[in-house]
Amino acid sequence: MATDADTPPEAPVTSARRGLMDRISIVWIVPLAALLVVLFIAWRGYADRGPVIQISFEDAAGVKEGSTELRYRDVAIGLVEEVGFTQGLDRVLVSVRIDKDVAPFIDDEARFWVVRPQVTTQGVTGLNTVLSGVYIEGLWDDQPGGYVGRFEGLPDAPLERHGQEGLRLTLRASGRASLIESTPILYRGVTVGRIGKPSITQDGSSAQAEAMIFAPHDKLVSSATRFWDTSGFTFSLGPGGAALEFSSVASLVAGGVTFETMVSGGDPVEPDTTFTVYPEESAARTSLFAADEGEALPLSVVFSENIGGLTTDAPVEMNGLKIGEVTALNGIIDEEEFGDNRVRLVVSLSIKAGRLGLGEEAGSDEALEYFRERVKDGLRARLASASILTGGLKIELVDDPDAEPTTLVQGEQGTYYLPTAESDITDVSATAQGVFERINALPIEEVMVSATELFEEARALLASEDVRGVPENLNNLLGDARKVVGSEEVQALPGRLEALIAELDKTVTQFNEAAVANKLATAVDNASDAAKGVSTAVEGVPELVDRLNAVAVKAQEVELQEMAEELTELIQTTDALLGSEQAKALPGKLNGALSELSAIMTELREGGVVENVSSAFDSASEAADTIAEAGRDLPDLIADARRVLTQARATLEGYRADNGLGREARDALSEIQKAAKAVASLARAIERNPNSLLTGR
Amino acid sequence: MEIIGELKTAREMGLVTCTECMRVSPRGTARCPRCGHTLRSRDPYSLQKVWAWWLMGLGCYIPANLYPMLETKTLVSSQSDTIVGGAVELAHDGNWGVATIILIASVLIPVAKFVVLAGLAVGVWYGPRATQGRRHILYEIVEYIGRWSMIDVFVVAILSSLVQLQTIASITPGRASLFFALSVIFTMLSAQSFDSRLIWDTNSDGMARRRPGRIPRRRRILARGN
Repeated sequence: MATDADTPPEAPVTSARRGLMDRISIVWIVPLAALLVVLFIAWRGYADRGPVIQISFEDAAGVKEGSTELRYRDVAIGLVEEVGFTQGLDRVLVSVRIDKDVAPFIDDEARFWVVRPQVTTQGVTGLNTVLSGVYIEGLWDDQPGGYVGRFEGLPDAPLERHGQEGLRLTLRASGRASLIESTPILYRGVTVGRIGKPSITQDGSSAQAEAMIFAPHDKLVSSATRFWDTSGFTFSLGPGGAALEFSSVASLVAGGVTFETMVSGGDPVEPDTTFTVYPEESAARTSLFAADEGEALPLSVVFSENIGGLTTDAPVEMNGLKIGEVTALNGIIDEEEFGDNRVRLVVSLSIKAGRLGLGEEAGSDEALEYFRERVKDGLRARLASASILTGGLKIELVDDPDAEPTTLVQGEQGTYYLPTAESDITDVSATAQGVFERINALPIEEVMVSATELFEEARALLASEDVRGVPENLNNLLGDARKVVGSEEVQALPGRLEALIAELDKTVTQFNEAAVANKLATAVDNASDAAKGVSTAVEGVPELVDRLNAVAVKAQEVELQEMAEELTELIQTTDALLGSEQAKALPGKLNGALSELSAIMTELREGGVVENVSSAFDSASEAADTIAEAGRDLPDLIADARRVLTQARATLEGYRADNGLGREARDALSEIQKAAKAVASLARAIERNPNSLLTGR
Repeated sequence: MEIIGELKTAREMGLVTCTECMRVSPRGTARCPRCGHTLRSRDPYSLQKVWAWWLMGLGCYIPANLYPMLETKTLVSSQSDTIVGGAVELAHDGNWGVATIILIASVLIPVAKFVVLAGLAVGVWYGPRATQGRRHILYEIVEYIGRWSMIDVFVVAILSSLVQLQTIASITPGRASLFFALSVIFTMLSAQSFDSRLIWDTNSDGMARRRPGRIPRRRRILARGN
């Protein structure tokens, strides 16, 4: 082609090397952006991921991996990632991924439980979980704490709810009171708290449950507050008529506990204080006034005997004072402890420390210490009859000094066991039966017949002429007796005695006149005799007489006059001797002694000792003889009187024996007896104190 | 479509077609005189776009299969199924037909699309193993069938809008449905980005292009041919 020649030759075209931006399509931005977004999301997801906590549950019914939520205030804040088991498969371990924001608050005080639908008398809870499946609820405070990875899940929901502050208490059911889970605690009909799950106390004697009084009602509880059971109804029949009490139909069906602060002045209570729930209001009120007894000390006693008749609330007494009561009776079989597999009965006692008199501040520790000491000294518990009529038993704490030494034993569960002593149960029924049988066996009818006969005979006797004549005869007798007593001879008795004594006096005077030195011995002998007889009348005389006797004997043997003369001569000779030249050579002391001796002898010679002694003896002898004379006559006189009286009595007795009974006769006889006694006492008085005859007193 | 004899492309004839109104203009014309669309003999960024969208589509297809497609909540239970899981569930229940449809629509077709698109792109890149005609048919199928992949998304959308009985029963689309829809969109974009004219070019050189860097050289040859 010619035209081709015209055109310039095609220059080799080399397209310029395009830049990177030219070669790469802009569309790559999209996947790049997507990649960036994905990376960002991945990074954020990783960075925002909260920690994993592990919660162990007893069972995890309904908890599913990846769908069960962890909620706080009903807002999901975590998700279950994994459901596994703890080591040994004994618990379910649920791993929960929690929100990062919440994680710091889940400290070691956090509690978790599984919310499940529940239908109780109090209503239906957790209904939403029927449809949505269970969820795990968490509860913790608003204070961030350290991160804790492992928690123990609660088997049940705790009493508190979110945002509900309150006072946590422990309620202990006493007697027939009952504690039902999640029943309301009412105060004047308003629900102010709730009871938790009840459990049995360690010693098995009662049930107790946690309870919660929600704020602000927790201020209503003080140490003077008493709780009682309002479930059911009480029917009482008293002087005020019959009364049927129940608090509300709801609590009648569902149960409930109410409380009241019955007196003012209670102290605010600490959390976890234990309160007793009484079966009814009256019991609660009664307890209030018996409350100031300090703590109760729980003790147990194991009886191998039959304790039929022992009931709860039976008294525990020490020295007759009630110091506590029986709280529970339980059986126990412990082959290791007792050696056989018989059932024994464990009696739980509640001892009021305040009643032991250990002081106002005494608590259960002091009481326990006291019992420890007393048990060492032989304090034992035993069963005793409380009531004869019902056969009820009580427990007595008695001292048994012969008991084998033992101590207060602490059991496995921390209970202290009091040792026992043999019981003191009077089998009232048996005894009473015996008494009744004996009464039954008495021949009452025969006795009555005999008695009737007797009375008839007695009437016949009394109506007889002989008996009617008795008083008269007696009167005559008494007149005779009076005559005897009032006769001149008897009346003159004192006079004669006086005369006798005067005669005696005379004799004694004569005797005195005829006093010779030679008769001194005789006088002394007499005096001695007399003195012995009247030792009661003249005190100290015998001794004196004895001494005098000795002196007298000596005096009799030694002729004093002659001795004195001889002595004088001797002394004069000695004087002369001493006055000699040789004697002067003797020591001055001997000289003095001799001169003293000389003085004594002189006094002896010139003092008239003999005369004094003699006269004393004379008077004594005189008195003694007088008495002896009087004494000799008196017995005869008394014997005479006795004889008269005996005769009189014999007469009277004979009379009585002949004629039977009679009031007047008895009177007469007693009068005679009185008279006789008067005579006898007169005689005795004379016998005892002869001086009264002499002196006239 | 049977191709008889030597086929010459418009490019070889020195012409350029408007992809919008199909008017053929002489090469070098910048804009279509009829519709004003920019005229380009070949889209130089076609393969890049294909790969970009393809990657996006595949990226979205992975979570679409891992996450649940449908969350069914009834009064007593809540169930969430992935695509395959749901199909297996249906098959277990005996709904073989429905299960097959779901498997075909949601698994087979998208996977096939990814494979075909990748194959086409690789064919353009490294040289085809199949004939031009077959590759073209494949492309047509991919183009056409792509929209039907959305059937799963529509099912989810319709179900979740119909069954909203609050707590008694409710069906909500799962996260997978969003990803699945995105995956479908991206694969469609990928298919659209593919310049089908490239299928025909490779044979004109009688050799497969090994490297993208060669494109300018071939252009030079073509230009010389003009």
